[in-house]
Amino acid sequence: MTTTLAPAPPAPPGSAGGTAALAPSGGLRRRLALRLLALVVLYVLWEVTARVMRNPAFIPSPGAVWDQLIRTSTEGYSGHSLLEHLGVSLRRIVIGSAIGIAGGLLIGVLLGTVGWLRVVAEPVVTFIRALPPLAYFSLFIIWFGIDETPKLWLLSIAALPPVAVATAAAVHGAPTGLVEAARALGASRWQATRDVVLPNALPEIFTGIRLAVGVAYSSVVAAETINGVPGIGGMIRDAQRYSQTDVVVLGLFAIGLSGLLIDSLLLSAETKLIPWRGRV
Amino acid sequence: MSSADAIRIDGLTHSYGETLAVGPIDLTVPEGEFLVLVGASGCGKSTLLRLIAGFEQPTGGSVLTGGAKPVPGKGAGLVFQQPRLFPWKTVGGNIELALRYAGQTVTAERVEELLARVGLHDVAKRRTWQISGGQQQRVAIARALAVENPLLLLDEPFAALDALTREKLQEDLRQVSAATGRTSVFVTHSVDEAVFLGSRVVVLTPRPGRIALDLKVGLPRSGIAADELRGLPEFAALRAEVGHAIRDRVTV
Repeated sequence: MTTTLAPAPPAPPGSAGGTAALAPSGGLRRRLALRLLALVVLYVLWEVTARVMRNPAFIPSPGAVWDQLIRTSTEGYSGHSLLEHLGVSLRRIVIGSAIGIAGGLLIGVLLGTVGWLRVVAEPVVTFIRALPPLAYFSLFIIWFGIDETPKLWLLSIAALPPVAVATAAAVHGAPTGLVEAARALGASRWQATRDVVLPNALPEIFTGIRLAVGVAYSSVVAAETINGVPGIGGMIRDAQRYSQTDVVVLGLFAIGLSGLLIDSLLLSAETKLIPWRGRV
Repeated sequence: MSSADAIRIDGLTHSYGETLAVGPIDLTVPEGEFLVLVGASGCGKSTLLRLIAGFEQPTGGSVLTGGAKPVPGKGAGLVFQQPRLFPWKTVGGNIELALRYAGQTVTAERVEELLARVGLHDVAKRRTWQISGGQQQRVAIARALAVENPLLLLDEPFAALDALTREKLQEDLRQVSAATGRTSVFVTHSVDEAVFLGSRVVVLTPRPGRIALDLKVGLPRSGIAADELRGLPEFAALRAEVGHAIRDRVTV
């Protein structure tokens, strides 16, 4: 998934400037124009390359991809329309990352608060993080068959480490000053964790969640290499088998663009949920 | 000990490793007193306050507050040098949290009343970063007052503020203190602040922190304007006495 810089939200009234004080990104209009220009340049490059190469199996022209968009949306591909493929994949991503995020949060809080657990479990989390999802997918196929279960397991396990690591680091590094202030007001250990440590960790946790959804996104094609139809990964794999490069490119666009959309949704949720980001 | 003693300190010492930071100190604070601990930087006055708050444990001797060993959050409200407000809560939310921890009923009126007591109005819904540093420290004081502990401990709360804001807060704290009559211990390195605020001033020596001077301040506690108070000849005399006590001990 893309991790482009966020379109900066309008500054809330009464606040002095945005939070990204070190990287001002210019006016909204200027940024929009810049992005449009980049898109036009990319499109022209693509069109020119396709015409010069004259090999649609290698680089299909934008027009061919557009035609495939119309065809897969109306007639379908591998027995399902593009929207169905995308919908099934999105469902897997949402369920998989939801499970992974929940697990990551739980493990992260435990790792951040219980010292001996951190010593034992941190290498395990790092170990899993280092594995490419396809590597443990074979194991899940053996364990759970080839239906929905191994796919969801794959996405959950792929999404878990970023959230676990971010949560553990943020919880462990809670500012002693604020925890002390809460305890001086009579907060119990649990109250101080709930009211100070966790809210303080939220900005970092949210970054972990964005990464997790990104990892789930990039793993969905791997998860759909086996029995992946319907699913955008299955569609791409079928198209690859018949050298239908235009369908492959269409699938890539579908994944990338929906990824962009989801990330921007997450970002706007973040500015609503965590208005204090960068204020501590 | 007498029941009217809010704090009783006997033969108290505190060491960091091999270094003796504080003591031995003997000190008794009767109820209702406004004690100011004053001394040069690094004399252990903040450590002494943290011992009274229960955040540090004595290496030797004992500290009793209200007749018992101090436990953080039980029996003493604390104000730090930085406001230490929770930015994920609004200004009012910070007060509400304190009320909830203290097991009190949380109402908007109670929150407004506590904020008004430190001279703040119409800020309950603001975010903590939308008010000035002086206002933030006022909120921190209101938050400490909310818990209604018998003791109020303040660790250089005005040190990070500009001179004008500091004077205004000193005046207001003096009034709040006169109104509530709560036993308070206030740590500062400013001689003027010590004499202005304290009903009793204790000067600590540089490391290890011991009592160099223990002085009752006989100035009127209320009904006098700040400028008038600072203009009294007694005020100047006390300032000089405390100032000398600090300077005589500084050997750097």
